[in-house]
Amino acid sequence: MFVSSRDFVCSKFQEFYNDPSTVIPTPTSFEQREFAYLLFKERFMVRHKRLENIQDFQKILARTVPSDVYHSCAYYENPDLEMDKKCWIGSDLVFDIDADHIPTLCGKIHDEWACQKCGFNGKGVTPAECPICGSDKFSTKTWVCDFCIESTRVETAKLIDMLTKDFGFADNELRVFFSGHRGYHVHVEVDAVRSLDALSRKEIVDYVTGLGLSIFDKYEKKNHAKGKKQTDGTKKFSLYDYGWNRRLKVGMRKFLTNVTAENLKNFGLKNNNLFKNKDAILSRAIAGGRWDVISGVSVATWLKLAEQVKILESANIDTVVTTDIHRLIRMNGTLHGKTGFLKVEFPVCQLDTFDPLTQAIAFKKGTTKVLVSDVPEFRLGEATWGPYKNVKVVLPTAAAIMLILKGRAEVAN
Amino acid sequence: MTFDSVFTKNDLAKYPFLKETAHYLSPLDLQIEDLISSSMSPILDRAMERVTSAIVDLTVRPLISEQGNKYEIKDLQKELVSFPVALMLVSATENSLIKKRYALAEAKQASHSLSLESKDFIFKIALDFGWKITLAPSGSTFEFVLYFSDFLQNASHLHDAKWKLINSKLSEGNVYLNTRAVVRLLQEEIKRRIEKRLVTVAIDKYPPEISELADKLAIIASEHIKQTELEFPKVVVPEAFPPCITVLYDAASKNHHLPHIGRFALTSFLVNIGMNSESVTDLFKSFSDYNERLTRYQVEHIAGERGSGTKYTCPQCSILQTHNVCKNRDDLCKRIYHPLKYYKIKSEMSQQNTSEKIIQLTKN
Repeated sequence: MFVSSRDFVCSKFQEFYNDPSTVIPTPTSFEQREFAYLLFKERFMVRHKRLENIQDFQKILARTVPSDVYHSCAYYENPDLEMDKKCWIGSDLVFDIDADHIPTLCGKIHDEWACQKCGFNGKGVTPAECPICGSDKFSTKTWVCDFCIESTRVETAKLIDMLTKDFGFADNELRVFFSGHRGYHVHVEVDAVRSLDALSRKEIVDYVTGLGLSIFDKYEKKNHAKGKKQTDGTKKFSLYDYGWNRRLKVGMRKFLTNVTAENLKNFGLKNNNLFKNKDAILSRAIAGGRWDVISGVSVATWLKLAEQVKILESANIDTVVTTDIHRLIRMNGTLHGKTGFLKVEFPVCQLDTFDPLTQAIAFKKGTTKVLVSDVPEFRLGEATWGPYKNVKVVLPTAAAIMLILKGRAEVAN
Repeated sequence: MTFDSVFTKNDLAKYPFLKETAHYLSPLDLQIEDLISSSMSPILDRAMERVTSAIVDLTVRPLISEQGNKYEIKDLQKELVSFPVALMLVSATENSLIKKRYALAEAKQASHSLSLESKDFIFKIALDFGWKITLAPSGSTFEFVLYFSDFLQNASHLHDAKWKLINSKLSEGNVYLNTRAVVRLLQEEIKRRIEKRLVTVAIDKYPPEISELADKLAIIASEHIKQTELEFPKVVVPEAFPPCITVLYDAASKNHHLPHIGRFALTSFLVNIGMNSESVTDLFKSFSDYNERLTRYQVEHIAGERGSGTKYTCPQCSILQTHNVCKNRDDLCKRIYHPLKYYKIKSEMSQQNTSEKIIQLTKN
């Protein structure tokens, strides 16, 4: 990013925080949280700040102009002291779903990577090692598309289903946010979760991601002669109506209702009886609990199906965020330094209809002329732009800022 | 003195960690100096007995007299008061192994007694710990309904897969449990309460008579408690690293990128097996984002040479699994819960092999 472009974005961020119509929602229990922000120009993280009131804080943001603003998920006696003197009281239960960590429908074909050692570059998911020189150091330029956001929305929906049905949280106890980049955050702030330690949170993560489900061990028998584990065919397969057992049943129903024989084969489920007996499985086993009446489906096949369904039904979250009881999380109503979009809250019930690329736009006025290096077609609000390659174009300010922050454009003189 | 009692004095003598014991104890206003007086000596003896049997065979046998099937506690007052006195004695040892052992023994004893109690009684005990719990209606396939956060605070410390939340009967925020499971979870809760109490009763200076008893306990402990602190070989044995650490170590040696959790696992593992901070810092030198000052600071912080001074231990296997750092699990991995334990066993095995080879060589 050229200095002129950075100065331009910085001035726009400053305008935003200076604007009296900008209202940053006050976080709950703000007096017990640590606040932090990353300075735009210096790239320095200011930490251990205590918030007196939101108006003063907004003035500080307008003066210092950070690219990113955070607060702790944790509550402390002394949020403004060093870590070992803070005195932890509790922490929100927080989930982060980010396209960076999950396979997306777009295959990230719009992301660019370049080997830092030999300069070899390409598009899509960054490889583990450079195909030319074997180095694993890459510089990357990510991009946000509707598919990335849709993929994270699907994961968020699965998470919310677990949090409400299995964990019993009411819709109004879940705070759902668009992260400002390409994902969602879910915060749970109820008293019951605040005191959970890191190990308890790890258990919640394992639940959400489907890790350690012992249904697969239950039917194992050890073949001592070979020292290998085998499926014990004498045990009858069944699922009960709680927790992941119920989730597997619901998942099997969804999966089998729409499945074709071809699909099943693609999933590695080669047993024809699964498809032939589909209706009986749906009505008698899954709905009626009579697993024993299904003939020709072995325990091994049931387990294979369950494994497949587990993968489909588990939610892909960033495991580190949820287990970290001192985590800093982006502050609601502030700008994201990779896009210039806002972190925005919306009601759980609007997860399907909320459009981040319309409703998270902070800079709604004006246009800016930029020199765009290379971008695919993209959408902001109702309008689409591009694709562009090495051209000067006049774009809405929000689009220009996003392109500059993504390293795909510079301000044109 | 009157109060709404939930428990009888016999109950409280049996479960002296319950909050209600305060109604009997606070009027006594027991001070550490009082313990030396001759009138207290039977209580002090009983307290010593409690701690000694906890150290020797991990039990705290109650003073009971069999009356038919029910067991009644002899001399309720003595039994009741001996518990806080035992806490003072344990705390005076200032020995974390004895403290842990005592809390565990009391909790195990309580759990054993609880397993013989009625569901209603167990329910009352659970309420004493503030659990959100209800008794299941009769005819259900389970006996208790427990709020998931109370379940997690206790079950997350247990290693067996059946205690994992993902394998529990979770629905609408509640976990459906049988009596045995609830008693086992209560044992964890009781242990934690006693450990906490041991912290709060600690004082700076104990009377010489008490210190003398504490020394006696320390001697008994040195004879009976196996040193659980892991001792590692004097030199680092990379061949004995668990597979996850080998993957991280190789990646670091080859200058490959490591996620934060991977760096933390590797660093904390290495400083815990005795590699000095200097060598660990050197390992990260070839990283492109290497910053000597910052790396040294982080490594020394993990090694406990900076900040609060606590040495960070390496994350246990289940944590590494959660964050996808656990790689190439082998047969030994399935038998242990911690990478450091793996290293301890494997390094001892390789040491044995080496000495066997030497013997073989000398024979030949």
